[in-house]
Amino acid sequence: MTRTEFWQGNTACAEGALAAGCRFFGGYPITPSTEIAEHMAVKLPKKGGVFIQMEDEIASMASIIGASWTGARAMTATSGPGFSLMMENIGYAAMTETPCVVVNIQRGGPSTGQPTMGAQGDMMQCRFGSHGDYSVIALCPASVQEMYELTARAFNLADKYRVPVFLMADEVVGHMREKIIIPDSVEQVPRKALVKGTLPFKADSDGIPGFPQFGKGYGVHVTGLTHDERGYPCATNPKLHEMLVMRLVDKIESARHEIADFDIINPDAELVFIAYGAPVRTVQQVMHDHPHDNIGFLRIRTVWPFPEFALGEFKNARHFLVPEMNLGQIAREIERHMKVPVTSLPKLGGELHTPAELLAALEAYR
Amino acid sequence: MSFEDWYRQDRLPHIYCAGCGNGTVVNCTLAAVEQVAWKKEDTVFVSGIGCSSRAPGYIVTDSLHTTHGRAIAFATGVKMANPDLHVVVITGDGDLAAIGGNHFIHACRRNIDLTVVCMNNQIYGMTGGQGSPTTPLGCLSTTTPYGCAESPFDLCDLAIAAGANYVSRWTSYHVKELEKAVLAGLQTPGFSFIEALVQCPTAFGRRNKFKVVADQVEYLRAHSMLKAKHDRLLEQGEPVPKDMFIVGELMRRNRPALGVKP
Amino acid sequence: MKLVIDETRCKGCNLCTKVCPYKIFKEGKKANRKGIIIPELDRPERCTNCRLMHLYGRTLCGVCQLTCPDQAIHWVEEQPYEPKKVAIEY
Repeated sequence: MTRTEFWQGNTACAEGALAAGCRFFGGYPITPSTEIAEHMAVKLPKKGGVFIQMEDEIASMASIIGASWTGARAMTATSGPGFSLMMENIGYAAMTETPCVVVNIQRGGPSTGQPTMGAQGDMMQCRFGSHGDYSVIALCPASVQEMYELTARAFNLADKYRVPVFLMADEVVGHMREKIIIPDSVEQVPRKALVKGTLPFKADSDGIPGFPQFGKGYGVHVTGLTHDERGYPCATNPKLHEMLVMRLVDKIESARHEIADFDIINPDAELVFIAYGAPVRTVQQVMHDHPHDNIGFLRIRTVWPFPEFALGEFKNARHFLVPEMNLGQIAREIERHMKVPVTSLPKLGGELHTPAELLAALEAYR
Repeated sequence: MSFEDWYRQDRLPHIYCAGCGNGTVVNCTLAAVEQVAWKKEDTVFVSGIGCSSRAPGYIVTDSLHTTHGRAIAFATGVKMANPDLHVVVITGDGDLAAIGGNHFIHACRRNIDLTVVCMNNQIYGMTGGQGSPTTPLGCLSTTTPYGCAESPFDLCDLAIAAGANYVSRWTSYHVKELEKAVLAGLQTPGFSFIEALVQCPTAFGRRNKFKVVADQVEYLRAHSMLKAKHDRLLEQGEPVPKDMFIVGELMRRNRPALGVKP
Repeated sequence: MKLVIDETRCKGCNLCTKVCPYKIFKEGKKANRKGIIIPELDRPERCTNCRLMHLYGRTLCGVCQLTCPDQAIHWVEEQPYEPKKVAIEY
């Protein structure tokens, strides 16, 4: 039995997490993600979960990693300044292969910036923010419905690939109120448990080891140092480090086709918009107003790992236009894959692109 | 059954220097854990970064070797998500009081049911001997080559002021008392903080004129003053000698605790 | 029981020599093959644990074992008809 509600994006995100089985939230209030924490504070204890407001974002990220190791699905929510603080522990989660979900309701940056205005300026940071080489998964919702669905999917992806998964929303989608249709249940794919007797960090054929939950007698040592398959630190072994880092990256990169989620509209168009997050809505408006102009549209929901194979679906494309609320962070990523010209349409300041602006860009390149 | 059963025998001998007090404190902590009769499956050790924090890698239970200073935050997550687990945090003076200061005082305030064993060697040992927030005034280290110009923290005073339920301080010379103190901490609900002053012969001792390990341990012994004696001196109005560490159980109270199953 | 110092672990810090209440250790003279000077047993018959562990069924004293930073001190059964003095094991 589905039901229809009229919710704020942040509420939908929290409800999606609860439906996916999230039972731990460790967070710190920061505009514009505070509503997620407040909603979790009310709802989690009723479902037997734990809500704790930590003393800063560093502690928030640390607490969800600790909770994840006891088997709980754990999540935190923050924005730009808090995201920067969390980077060291995000690297720790990537290195120790801890499943967790980090929601970033992006706001105008850098620094304190525009707390109540949307932006998409953290997209590169979410991929490369922590030191060292590692791979992550990032999902970008463009509506309240997607806030619910993608948050629920984030937990399944985190548990399957044992990696921190980011929900890179923005203040526009986080604070807007929209109609949402809630399914009666959400599919939960639990973690693969480690088979007793196998080494805790020995990967299976898919590059992902079983999960040795605390309290089940595995006696696992989890460390951020470079470690061997037993989990013991072996920081001075070059071959081992190379193998470990390659495995951490390959387990995501080799699965980019399964992880990818995008829509292709008008694949034979010559001018193609590529958008994710809030600018999707403006592109949708343009396409709605000009249905016969054969405008192509690649709408991406999984920005990292970037689905470059989707670009090849537009066989006639001679120009890609990428409206973003940043100075072309993902346009740069697209550009390196394509010989066809890619133009970034940046919009700073917190307001969405207007349909007129996008149309002007279309005309300029027609 | 002795504390030796809690070690990962395949990983010994460990990386600690000859005469390092950390080895002693880990022995005492494990002896206390053995006495309180927790099961190995239900115990989790969490640590930060530093010499002290390498200890959980040698202990046979589930353990979490985390980022610098954040051990208590990770331990909070573990304990809150599964209050049935017994969580012990092993940390050092720099890890706890410098980068981890904020998490330390909030854990004391929250009175979360953890036991923190801090191995205070008054220096940053693992990275080669830099000054730490507990390096005494005037002592030499690689970043205080002209003598430390800053006054040190009193970690136990911090813990008491911030609200911990059980606070005690011993040195690596007082092995039996330290074991009993850790045992009391493990048994007390709420935040228990045990500070163990240890000798660091390689980083601290070498630079501060302690030629032999035994000299440094002798210094710790000679400069330890029991709390009872300290209180008596204060009552009688006698002057307290400088540079003395007050050892013993410094606080035990019953503030409401977090993370304890009712 | 007799006290043995595990030579694969002892690093020659001599803390056991310092803390033993019965002064059963003394500093060694010769370095072993690893270059470490292991403490020798001076008056092993004074070790309370060696003498009384069987009688009481638990560890008595044990300060040297707790203090040893390298977990190098253990007590083992003495073999029958062995002259009753504790020795260093290789």
